[in-house]
Amino acid sequence: MKRTTRTRLVRYGVNLAIVLVLLALALVADWGVIKQNFWNPLGVALSDGNWGDLITIGALNTIKYTVIAFAGGLVLAVVLALMRMSPIATLRWIATVYVEFFRGLPALVVILFMGFGVPIAFQWSPPGGLVGAGLLALIMVAGAYMAETLRAGIQAVPKGQTEAARSLGMGPMSTMFKVVLPQAFRVVIPPLTNEFVLLIKDTALLSVIGAEFNGRELTNVARDFQSSGPSAGTATSLVQAALLYLVITIPLTQLVAWLERRQRKATR
Amino acid sequence: MYKSRLSALALTTLAALALGACGSDDSGTTDSGADVVKAGTLTVCSDVPYPPFEDFDTSSDSGFKGFDVDIVDEVADRLDLELSIKDSGFDALQSGQALNAGTCDLAASAMTITDDRKKNLDFTDGYYVSKQSLLVPAGSDIKGIGDLDGVKVGVQQGTTGKTYTEENAKGAKVVTFPSDAEMFQAIKAGQVKALLQDLPVNLDHAKDGKYEVVETFETDENYGFAIKKGNTQLVDDINEALDEMRSDGTYDEIYNKYFEVE
Repeated sequence: MKRTTRTRLVRYGVNLAIVLVLLALALVADWGVIKQNFWNPLGVALSDGNWGDLITIGALNTIKYTVIAFAGGLVLAVVLALMRMSPIATLRWIATVYVEFFRGLPALVVILFMGFGVPIAFQWSPPGGLVGAGLLALIMVAGAYMAETLRAGIQAVPKGQTEAARSLGMGPMSTMFKVVLPQAFRVVIPPLTNEFVLLIKDTALLSVIGAEFNGRELTNVARDFQSSGPSAGTATSLVQAALLYLVITIPLTQLVAWLERRQRKATR
Repeated sequence: MYKSRLSALALTTLAALALGACGSDDSGTTDSGADVVKAGTLTVCSDVPYPPFEDFDTSSDSGFKGFDVDIVDEVADRLDLELSIKDSGFDALQSGQALNAGTCDLAASAMTITDDRKKNLDFTDGYYVSKQSLLVPAGSDIKGIGDLDGVKVGVQQGTTGKTYTEENAKGAKVVTFPSDAEMFQAIKAGQVKALLQDLPVNLDHAKDGKYEVVETFETDENYGFAIKKGNTQLVDDINEALDEMRSDGTYDEIYNKYFEVE
């Protein structure tokens, strides 16, 4: 048998096997039970179902919290990145220790610390109650990640740019903010968008420190619907929340892919 | 015949994977014919810790202690089953998902019998009569449920305490937490000013004098053990064991160990 024929037959065999397994699973599955649990008619009803709170409270808060955490994290990251490249050794050390510390901790632990640990120990709680505390924790963690991304971006700007700006008489600060950072940001937009997508999912962790009815993010709303509401006792609200997450995240990941393609063209 | 061997190999591998995904089935039935998820064992799910009902205890056989734990331990003995306890989230227990997923036979987690829960679960007879209660820091201005207007009150997700607060605490800002562990931290941290939940748990928090229970609420609540819907034989067996325990004094013995009034 020719080698090409053989490869083709193997390919057919594998595809056929996959189809057979899927068919077998589809036949074995109890679709009635699956539908009752994953797509309960009462829960997915357009009126009186779960969608209302899931979208107007959950999804909106998820987006709001993500934007706040991202904006705060970005500001913190710029400061940290500049500190890491500072000529002053102490600043470099502080930034390095900060980044290593918060990159090494689970976001969940930092959230619990800011929500309960810090207020109990220092008799001071972050502004904005529990949501504020949780967001501060996310900002601290996201800042550490984004600082590293930014530093890589800044270092990717050719040294000649700085030298040219300085020889035109620009000071070190205006060189950094008017010449280097704008170019660095172009390089880091795709990885930063990725960080944004990660943050969207990290907001789900906020539910561990508790939330008021109108302050709940998407996962929290879905979890409440698991125990009360029209589809209580089923995973329907989780499936709905999963769909809403994808509606938010997939356009963003596509945007990252598009930005990366565009950047490859621009720098070629 | 190279091709058929290869595709046969691929097929068997995939089939084996598919079968493996279905999981091994070591479920069984008891002498009375009740279904259990693991043969010869009563597998119990509980949201630990929730003292005095359930707490960790490395020195005991099951690794847990508490009123619920002692009761199910005795029940398992009487049914000739080994006791195995798994820690799990309360929400998954009270919604019936943990039981439906075959994680355990029984949820023993200070769970109140309610009509809502009965839609998704079968309950044994009640084994404990509970009250709701309001816990505040000692010396707080809050003297009762009427003082909660505009106040942040901590409650637990999916509990009767949460429903009671939403229905009776006018103007209160209800803050929902995953479990009592976070609630107690939150009142210590000043993130909430009061906790509304089952009396025994609040009494436990009030033991050191920094917190006090200012009001209790009769809600006519009974704790029951939850069982997967349709497993009626197991419900009957456990009810029988509970009856025996009440008549021969074992129940009172366990009750007094945890709730005796001094």
